[in-house]
Amino acid sequence: MDASTFARLARQAPFHDAGHGYDVFGLHPPALAAAVSAGAPLYDWYFRVDSQGIEHIPAAGAAILVANHGGVLPMDAAMMCLDVLRRMDPPRIPRAVADHFVPRLPFVSTLFARLGVVSGTRTNVRALLEHGELVAIWPEGVAGPAKSFKDRYRIKEWRVGFAELAIRYNVPVVPVAIVGAEESWPLAMKMRGLRLFGSPYLPVPATPIPLPAHYHIRYGEPLHLDGLAHCKVDDPDVIANAATRVQVALERLLDDTLRARRGIFR
Amino acid sequence: MRVLLTGATTPLGRALVDTLASSEDCSLVLAVGHEPRLDRSWRSNVVYRCVDLTRGREVHDLVCGDAFEHGIDTVIHMAQHRAAHDRGRRVHAQNVTATRELVLRCTDHPTIRRFIHRSFAEVYALERATSDLLDEEAALDFDPAAPQWLRDRIEADMTVCAHFGGPLQIAVLRCAELVAADSGSQLWDYLSSRVCLRPLGFDPMLNVLSLDDAVAAIASAARSTHTGVFNIPGADTLPLSRAIAETVRLDIQVPGPLLAPLYGLRRRIVGFEFRYDLNLRRFHFGGVIDGSRARRLLGYVPSHPVQWPRAWWRSLLERLADLRSESGA
Repeated sequence: MDASTFARLARQAPFHDAGHGYDVFGLHPPALAAAVSAGAPLYDWYFRVDSQGIEHIPAAGAAILVANHGGVLPMDAAMMCLDVLRRMDPPRIPRAVADHFVPRLPFVSTLFARLGVVSGTRTNVRALLEHGELVAIWPEGVAGPAKSFKDRYRIKEWRVGFAELAIRYNVPVVPVAIVGAEESWPLAMKMRGLRLFGSPYLPVPATPIPLPAHYHIRYGEPLHLDGLAHCKVDDPDVIANAATRVQVALERLLDDTLRARRGIFR
Repeated sequence: MRVLLTGATTPLGRALVDTLASSEDCSLVLAVGHEPRLDRSWRSNVVYRCVDLTRGREVHDLVCGDAFEHGIDTVIHMAQHRAAHDRGRRVHAQNVTATRELVLRCTDHPTIRRFIHRSFAEVYALERATSDLLDEEAALDFDPAAPQWLRDRIEADMTVCAHFGGPLQIAVLRCAELVAADSGSQLWDYLSSRVCLRPLGFDPMLNVLSLDDAVAAIASAARSTHTGVFNIPGADTLPLSRAIAETVRLDIQVPGPLLAPLYGLRRRIVGFEFRYDLNLRRFHFGGVIDGSRARRLLGYVPSHPVQWPRAWWRSLLERLADLRSESGA
């Protein structure tokens, strides 16, 4: 383990210790620092993550990162979180929001909890925002990884809960485009009859391991949705418009990044 | 403040009686238990009554007689049947009927103004879609297949909640598990064994409450004028594996389906109270209660860590080590 990485994450990153070195959701900074070190070869050599715009993430206070989602397993989420952990100074721990079936997965649920992942419920996200934490959300949800290869980088479903929370708690939303994941590990088929541990389907990847696609992560300008109509935060149209605004910003960022890249593996 | 307190002979009850009786703002404690006689001395401002709360006539005489004569203005109801394996009508009467009768008698009472009901965080449903953090809006566990221990506590909780909005100021305190000896704590029983089995692949977060914090929370609620449901968390939030390590027990992970029969066998052979079916979801999905409302309105902040169960010889060794370090300092 890299000593400086451990020191940064274990001591400097803001963390609400609930008394025994864990926060109420199970985050354990030493475990996170170990994961950062273990993930370094993937980040540096295999996916060669290229990141721009990290300065758009607020250095302190609550904020929501909103990204596109793809690939058989959440490698895109892992690389984005690694990117934030390694590159932000002062360090911040992104709290990735996972789908509801994740807590049922043995071993995975415990590992994710130690790395700061939380279930995507209103109470959890509300608590994180009230604590001033950096929350990472993938509004496509499970529909993102379930996309066929021909629909890569096209947003199919777009949940709006993050927009309501951003307005209600007056927090900026940073759109994040992740390019590379959807070609790295494409989905061959979905076995819907096999619902293990409550997952919607069993994914069958096209390749046994992810391909070494070059990952590009672009952070856009933060969007402040509170100006839209804070007093009408319960109005579905207000929320939908705010979510659409973020979706449009993310799609533009994705298009720019796709146009600028020289190739999937270059 | 003049307080009527049920469940006064439990460890929590005794501690609460002592705390209230010695505080300046409490002039009288009417302590109620089911033991006919107690071998302990109470303070001069404590009156003890032996009452069978399952008998409606005795509850009536307690509330309309003793409570009225002593000018009781606050009732703290903590009496619950503690043994998790017991069931039947008598247990239901103690848990639910007594609660219903008591809160009914307190409503429209000439002197009683405030009713505090000690409930349990176990009433919350722990499922895959549940938040890791449970606030007062979280769903309750209405599974009809749940053990009576749990169903009774939910019914008692709902019975008291049904009286919100009336003349009586009611506060329902959903307390995290009180980890202390003789308190009916499932975790205390579980951690008292030399070997602790837990589900393979799961290490959920738990929040547990110490006796001192429970006393502080209930006393704060008694003094407050705020009403409603309040989650009362403890100062210890930690993974199950860490709780096992705190008690220096052997931690063995076992495939989940084996745990219920193994603990059932343990109960038959050794006679412990721990029920795995009562703790199955907690041992997989965790569930930590959010105490922000109690902090904001009651001023309750947990600050006393739990005294974990230890083998007597280990406690002795730790005490000797402390004495040695103190004498060295």
